[in-house]
Amino acid sequence: MTNLKRVLAGTATAIVLTALAVPANAGTLENMERERAIMIETLLSGDIDNNQRQGRMEIARTRLVDLERQVLRDKSLIGKNRPLVRAAFDNYDLTFVVHASVEKNRSVADHWLSEIGLSTQAVMNARTGRR
Amino acid sequence: MKILTLRSTNLAGEWLAVAVMALAITAAAPAGTAAAAEKWAPVASEKLMQLPGDFLRKAVDNDFARSGLAQELVSLDEQVAFKRSTLADLQRAIERTDDADIRLDLQHQFLNEKRNYIELMRENQEIRRKRAATKVRLYERLLENLNRQRRATTPAKAAFIAKQTAARERFEASASQIDERLLTSAAASESRYAREYAKNLSAVQELVAAINAHPMNAAPAIDGQPVTRAEYLRQLIAENQGDLAVVDQERAILGHMAKLVSLDALALSEGIDSDAYAEIDIDADEDGPNQVTSAVEFFTTRQ
Repeated sequence: MTNLKRVLAGTATAIVLTALAVPANAGTLENMERERAIMIETLLSGDIDNNQRQGRMEIARTRLVDLERQVLRDKSLIGKNRPLVRAAFDNYDLTFVVHASVEKNRSVADHWLSEIGLSTQAVMNARTGRR
Repeated sequence: MKILTLRSTNLAGEWLAVAVMALAITAAAPAGTAAAAEKWAPVASEKLMQLPGDFLRKAVDNDFARSGLAQELVSLDEQVAFKRSTLADLQRAIERTDDADIRLDLQHQFLNEKRNYIELMRENQEIRRKRAATKVRLYERLLENLNRQRRATTPAKAAFIAKQTAARERFEASASQIDERLLTSAAASESRYAREYAKNLSAVQELVAAINAHPMNAAPAIDGQPVTRAEYLRQLIAENQGDLAVVDQERAILGHMAKLVSLDALALSEGIDSDAYAEIDIDADEDGPNQVTSAVEFFTTRQ
């Protein structure tokens, strides 16, 4: 009976510790950043027409929704004070660009451009000149 | 008569020896002979730190129960219980006997047994003192580790964690609204990740609820009041320091007992005998065998 209790106690401890030590997904943030970079590249690309851009942006947005959620739910990133993680959480509106754009009821392109300080009005007011 | 005189002289010598030994016990160093060989050295590991609620105390107690020190304590408890019954038997026999020689022999034996009892109790106390002191050290180390972890969170890191928390809260607050808008506006249907996540989430929430409700996962509490881990550790330290203080007090009681044994021995060697003390019903005591106070009567009653 005593042996059984010991075995049970040992098993319980082992299970608790195993459960606590479940490894988190590696690279959720890196995956998201890669996808975000591709989306911005698509947004700024001058090699594709508007229809192509629209189609690619739609695909990227769907993919980014999941990737952004994976990052936000990734417990392994909590307290990870690495430059990449720090930069990601410094600006929610730029990092989680799809969620922030839907939240603000704007298109992803409009949202991103306005977050970096480029509004339609600003572009329209701009004039060509030499620097 | 001559033989009896000679015998009495020998007995007086023996009683003097008993008195000297009893006094020596009073002033003895705390290190026990058998107890010193047995050790219990629990480690303030990270695993121990992660144990939930009262599981920490239970794990420490279980660890002690498996140690050689605990086995020694159990063995000593048995010996003490046996010694107490021997003392009670001898006391009864002394009360019943009318023969002066037999009475003298029994008194001598009674004195020796009392000395042995004191020695056993001293070892018992030493083990209990070691147990309490080790627990205090262990809990203090755990508390220190806990404080070190807390200090490791710099203001910059704390600010960063706050940002992460804010981001999660913002996401959680708008998640359902975003889901609605994305599903109604987007041509794409819900992704496999979203579907699987939603399916697993209910299972996870159910399991988390079961874990939270599990009695073994109860948060640390003192008198039913939930407390922090640090407060709980401080409570455990205080409890064990209380145990140490009690053991110290019991050691003083043993010292008094030893002194009484030595005085009894001296009195017997001088041939002084009186029934100055009231008779005590030895069967009336129901205290545990390791309670030093339960044996006081053997020392306060002179036969």
